[in-house]
Amino acid sequence: MTSIRVDTLEPLPGREEPPRRHVPPGRWLRENLFSTWYNSVLTVLFAALLGLLLYRVGRFVFVDGRWEIIERNLRLLLVFRFPDDALWRLWTAMYVLAGTFGLAAGAAATVRRAEVAAGRARPIGGRFLPLRRVAPVVVLAAVLLWLAGSVGATLLVAGAAAVAVLGRLAGTLLPRRYAKWTAVLALVGLAAAFGIVIGLGGVSPRTWGGLLLTIYLAIGGIAISFPLGVLLALGRRSSLPAVRVVCVTYIEIIRGVPLITVLFVGYLIIGFTLPPGTPTPSVVTRAMIGIILFTAAYVAEIVRGGLQSVPRGQYEAAQALGLSPVKTTWLIVLPQALRAVIPAMVGQFISLFKDTSLVFIIGLTELLGVADLITKQREFTAQGLIFETLLFVSLLYWVGSYSMSRESQRLERRLGVGER
Amino acid sequence: MRLLHLKVTLPLSILGLLLAGCIGGSEGNEGQGGQAGGQQGNTLQRVQDRGTLNCGINDAVPGFGVVTPQGEYEGFDIDYCRAVAAAVLGDPNAVEFKPVTTEQRFTALQSGEIDVLIRNTTWTAERDGAEGATFLHTTFYDGQGMMVPADSDYRRLEDMDGTTICVLSGTTTELNLATAFRARNLEHEPLSFEDNETLQQAFQQGRCDGWTSDKSQLAGVRSSWPDNQGGPDALRILDEEFSKEPLGPVVRDGDSPWAQAIDWTVIATIQAEEFGITSENVEQMKGDQNEEIRRLLGEENFDSGLGLPDDFAVQVIQAVGNYGEIYDRNVGADSPLGLERGLNDLYTNGGLHYAPPYR
Repeated sequence: MTSIRVDTLEPLPGREEPPRRHVPPGRWLRENLFSTWYNSVLTVLFAALLGLLLYRVGRFVFVDGRWEIIERNLRLLLVFRFPDDALWRLWTAMYVLAGTFGLAAGAAATVRRAEVAAGRARPIGGRFLPLRRVAPVVVLAAVLLWLAGSVGATLLVAGAAAVAVLGRLAGTLLPRRYAKWTAVLALVGLAAAFGIVIGLGGVSPRTWGGLLLTIYLAIGGIAISFPLGVLLALGRRSSLPAVRVVCVTYIEIIRGVPLITVLFVGYLIIGFTLPPGTPTPSVVTRAMIGIILFTAAYVAEIVRGGLQSVPRGQYEAAQALGLSPVKTTWLIVLPQALRAVIPAMVGQFISLFKDTSLVFIIGLTELLGVADLITKQREFTAQGLIFETLLFVSLLYWVGSYSMSRESQRLERRLGVGER
Repeated sequence: MRLLHLKVTLPLSILGLLLAGCIGGSEGNEGQGGQAGGQQGNTLQRVQDRGTLNCGINDAVPGFGVVTPQGEYEGFDIDYCRAVAAAVLGDPNAVEFKPVTTEQRFTALQSGEIDVLIRNTTWTAERDGAEGATFLHTTFYDGQGMMVPADSDYRRLEDMDGTTICVLSGTTTELNLATAFRARNLEHEPLSFEDNETLQQAFQQGRCDGWTSDKSQLAGVRSSWPDNQGGPDALRILDEEFSKEPLGPVVRDGDSPWAQAIDWTVIATIQAEEFGITSENVEQMKGDQNEEIRRLLGEENFDSGLGLPDDFAVQVIQAVGNYGEIYDRNVGADSPLGLERGLNDLYTNGGLHYAPPYR
């Protein structure tokens, strides 16, 4: 198996970087933007349009926009009606996440470097990659803290950032044999953070709202729909007709129905399907179940595409090596299949992240719901502030989606997706 | 052979899971009638046992139900949720506010998700009949109106032949608009929007000649019209009212004790205003020489048989005040909406609010 990896990852002989040409800016402009008269016209025209657009947006953001509505309602937008005396739980959870994820990232980087040094992996990206990765989050944090204007919050966020950096440093110092456990540690951290927020007199998700609810639904949806989707995809390729039919039916029915319908049906039906006497799950839980069932069907089809891309020879080779069917699937087929579908899968998850806004239909107040709600408040009603609130939640959605997208690209480069 | 093993066990376990789900589902469907039936009757008892009231509300209607930046619910409908909790449980804060959407509100009521729906819902025959809902004492008489720019020539609906009208989609407002114009033999072009914010942008850009909605909402929009758009004086609300919109609490059909408890909570607020009992003077009023006032405030050893505590009216008035106080605070003179009392005044002042005698 090791030898196979080395084969695929060895740089092809004879491939060289194209020579770098150094062009002075004046010549670059002449060659690329003003080469002919019509190119010059187009350049000027679009530069003017772009300038106007930037001016209008910039003017709105820095001059005309009345950001007071966001400043006053920052807490509603982020955590909605999360009680004051439980906010420390959220901060603690943030520190736990910063620490464990920092540690995992540090350990992963060390393992990575060792593999690159041993020639078993390709180095990725340039020097500025980490900067580009964290830049949107840093910008978002800066915007939020500027809006909040609170020294305490700034110090707490700075502290969390420090914990993350320290965790990463500690991770690089960790002995190699513990390194692989840090991924598990990160998952444990996630679970612990969740437990800190809701456990022991904490705040149940049923009362959550705003960004907190959006993130909860997105993370829960991704974490559970992924394995479920993989199972469904394997079931659809089963040689047993009964299993195949059930999986195909499930996938095709769910894919043929809009998410909003699944949410609404989930809202109505789930309470009735439980044995009598059990308390009906909260609306948030029902929304989560609807999102999971819906996304699993799409994940299943994406994974099936990946399974089909694994050549027959791989199965045969695995059998020839005497691997059991479970091991064949787990060690040979799934890694290759999942690697091939990372872009589509992350696309689905980004879509899920944004689709959580549809839970408004069953009365939940997620991020977009709060953005609408605050424009109806006493002091802000009929002030035409919807642009401000929408622009603000767009920033939050964008940072979330863009971060996922970047992580996926990183993962693709690391695993060499798109190369053979 | 071993490959077959995986192909059998793994999918079989999925099949088992899915089948379990299916069976659970079909059982559930049978159970649906039973459970819905179980929701009938004695909500009052269940609310008192539970110790909290599940109140279905709207959290985004100015004046009626909004969330403040501090995370508190406030508004006219919100106050009536608190009033019911004060009457039934003796604690105005024992309310779990459950925001519900237009699409989901009656289902939420039927399934027992909420005990009472107080969410600017218009009382109509079809909703009363076909939705399995019972509409209670009206708390707010609204009506649909038309708002136009003050510098336009539109003074009456008749002037608006062939105009474009901005309206919220999927509401009775849209239907009323069509009916009103048809009845007057006028042409109009409706321009529908999903929410007031986008509608307002279109109206400001002059994409429509008039904006139709409930008059309470129009007045609210007008009174807080931005100064850079000319302030409230830039807009005119036509006098005509072309629909009746009685808004009030809604409960499930077939639960008289619960319906009566809420009805008399509403009536108590109206009666209190008529008697001049306010949240400030309620303690003194207990010793008033008027026997009717003392009876309402539970000082007369009077049992109505409604299942409410003797002092329920005191609890309600202390918590949210009388009808006039609730009105002024949320939608009236003391609020940005600045609505006149109009139809919502006491019958003694030419309005429609008339409380049956508490005796």
